[in-house]
Amino acid sequence: MYHQRMSGRRVAFALATVMLVCLVFVGRLVDVQIVRAAELQEQSLQVRTTSETLWASRGSIVDQFGNDLALDVDRYDISANPSKAGDFRRTGVVVPLAQAVAEIAQVTGANYDEMLSAVSGDPSAQFTYLVKGVTPEAKDGLRALDIPWLQIDLIRERTYPFGPVTANLTGMLGRDKPLGGVELAEDECLMAQNGVATYQKGADGVRLPGTTTLVEEPIHGGTAHLTIDSDLQWYVLQQLAEHGGRLQAQQASAIVVRVSDGHILAAADWPTFDPNDFTDAPPEHMGARTFSAPYEPGSIMKSMGVAMLIDAGHTSVSDRIVAPGFYNIGSGRFIKNMLVSDTRQLTTAGVLQTSSNTGMAVLGERMPKQQAYDYFRAFGFGEKTAVDFLGESNGVLKTPENYDAFTRFAQLYGQGISVTAVQMAGAYQALANDGVRLPLRLYDGCTTSLGEFIEAPVAEPIHVVSASAARQTVNILESVVTQSALRPVLEIPGYRVAAKTGTAEIASASGYGSERVISLAGMAPAEDPEYVVLVSFYKPQSSKVSSAAAPAFTDLMSHVLKHYRVAPSSETAVVPPLTW
Amino acid sequence: MSVLTVKPTSKARESSSRPTRPVLAALAGPKLRYIVATLLGIFAILAVQLILSIALSGGAYEIASLKGEMRNTEQKRQMVAEDINALIAPDTLAGLAASMGMVADNNPAYLRLSDSSVVGEAQPATADSGAAVYPVTAGSEDVAPPAIIAAVYESLNSPQQLSPEVPEEPVSTEPPSATPVAVSPPTPAPTAPRFGGSIPSPTTR
Repeated sequence: MYHQRMSGRRVAFALATVMLVCLVFVGRLVDVQIVRAAELQEQSLQVRTTSETLWASRGSIVDQFGNDLALDVDRYDISANPSKAGDFRRTGVVVPLAQAVAEIAQVTGANYDEMLSAVSGDPSAQFTYLVKGVTPEAKDGLRALDIPWLQIDLIRERTYPFGPVTANLTGMLGRDKPLGGVELAEDECLMAQNGVATYQKGADGVRLPGTTTLVEEPIHGGTAHLTIDSDLQWYVLQQLAEHGGRLQAQQASAIVVRVSDGHILAAADWPTFDPNDFTDAPPEHMGARTFSAPYEPGSIMKSMGVAMLIDAGHTSVSDRIVAPGFYNIGSGRFIKNMLVSDTRQLTTAGVLQTSSNTGMAVLGERMPKQQAYDYFRAFGFGEKTAVDFLGESNGVLKTPENYDAFTRFAQLYGQGISVTAVQMAGAYQALANDGVRLPLRLYDGCTTSLGEFIEAPVAEPIHVVSASAARQTVNILESVVTQSALRPVLEIPGYRVAAKTGTAEIASASGYGSERVISLAGMAPAEDPEYVVLVSFYKPQSSKVSSAAAPAFTDLMSHVLKHYRVAPSSETAVVPPLTW
Repeated sequence: MSVLTVKPTSKARESSSRPTRPVLAALAGPKLRYIVATLLGIFAILAVQLILSIALSGGAYEIASLKGEMRNTEQKRQMVAEDINALIAPDTLAGLAASMGMVADNNPAYLRLSDSSVVGEAQPATADSGAAVYPVTAGSEDVAPPAIIAAVYESLNSPQQLSPEVPEEPVSTEPPSATPVAVSPPTPAPTAPRFGGSIPSPTTR
């Protein structure tokens, strides 16, 4: 009996204990699973979850053939932890610090002494850069070295494969910030947006399947298309360097425009800079002066002057003009010619062919101020071109009420008006294209990362002068090549070329000084112009007359004709009467 | 007492239940089968789940390694593209052409196929028709030209390097592990020509 009672109590006790333990467990379970569940789950997720940056690359800038002018590439920054740097064992062999650094130097080509002092200079330091921006290839080599204190970080670097060739147009990228040119102007197209993803990983660092969450999708930058032909651009820049050096010019610019659609095929500025390393480049060499630097163009403007006079019916090609040696504009001021001071009997064609300032003044009397102003505007002067390049200048075109006696005539031969090289190239495009000025085009559009092409807006063509006025003017310009002393220099065998020289005095605070801008603008083949070339040299020293720019023009034009396989001319030119 | 009387009855009940045992065993037969089947089913499910999760995590490793491979391949593509960009740059082409003695001729003539006539006035190029490559910047850039260009120049100047003789491996009697500490690290040195004369050298590790 007693025995049984005892065992019954024991059973009850055991049961109670078990129940109690169960209760404690249940209580704990409820606490963990229900009461603090959310909090704990969050904690565990934080421990397991890693977030990663999904790199998006900035878009490329490409030329008309899709050649990369600017693109993002993978590079690596190599750093070390000096406090942990020292001898280490690699596959059982002790590698001393100096040998490790020597190996790094061998792989990356970096300076051994600098790296050694960086890594052993301050042993308490936690971080020091060894080499910046090494190639993936060198990175693989470094990984293979198995150095435990080495850290390798991926960075994105902007490179410009053509270097200085298109630097004036592409601009450059600073520390993740565009600093000029197309990089800045079309940033909206090129800009990339890095994404974020989170995932959970196991103790061994491998991500757990099915745990990746895309928090923010990376958006790659689009591709910006330019109308530039980078091969041609390179050649143009080479010629500027050669002839600019020969003329000891301070600067030089050249533009090549396709007549049929107004595309700018080359727009070069010399000297230029290397966008891959522009830290020590002089600021005056950066940027596109073809767009941003207006100057008084001088006699190359006479082509526009004659075209508008013919179009308005104020003169004709064979109109007889008496061009005096000096033309009195009152208050003791005179217009004179560059070379000759005697009175000459010229036709309108002769005025343009011999580049007579006084002849232009005589013709200019017939043109009302407002009408001249309207023609200048129609030719595209006084406002930015359709390219609307970053930092592009309007040039300076006075309104008719601000014309003084001098400006009124001087404008017709390119003084008292400031234009950019690209405006002038656009005006010659109008003459070459039967009087219809097609808005110039440099930026063609943007291909987004989804492959959609967004074309840049196309501006409307502008009828400047009649086709016959334009053709007659081009015909006179042909005689500049065939009938002048420059013939041996300007002639291109097999082709008919129309061109106009220009020597402009550079105005300073104290009037016109001795410095010049010499330029040549022209088109070929003259019977049906396909390409316009404009070249100008700023402050040449070894020769200051426009004929000095002629060899550069001929080199450029003959190269353009060859480069684009233009069929040689079959007809010969008809020379208009130049004198009477 | 009552206890005493109860005991035999319980015993009697026990003894009376004894003959029913074969019946129970007969019943337990099919029941056991159900239990075993259920348990087997559970184990099978667990096993399949295990295999699936092993496969899944194995797949995760594969994905990770393939992604790494993709990144490497993309980087290789990018490196090759960089080399191509460097090689097709007009600077390079002009420099190479000049180094081979070529000069530019800006007055070519054309053959018209329709009537087999020569169009244009051809003029022979002269030696000074423009062979030099002019510097176009004023700054002193220290950006080195890509290694591949140096390699092309090198292979142009010494054409025999294009078909390198493969040197015989020196027959070593010693085991490789006995090589002294002088470890030569693998060198993808950027200055080494990457096509033409590059011979992979055995690395001791």
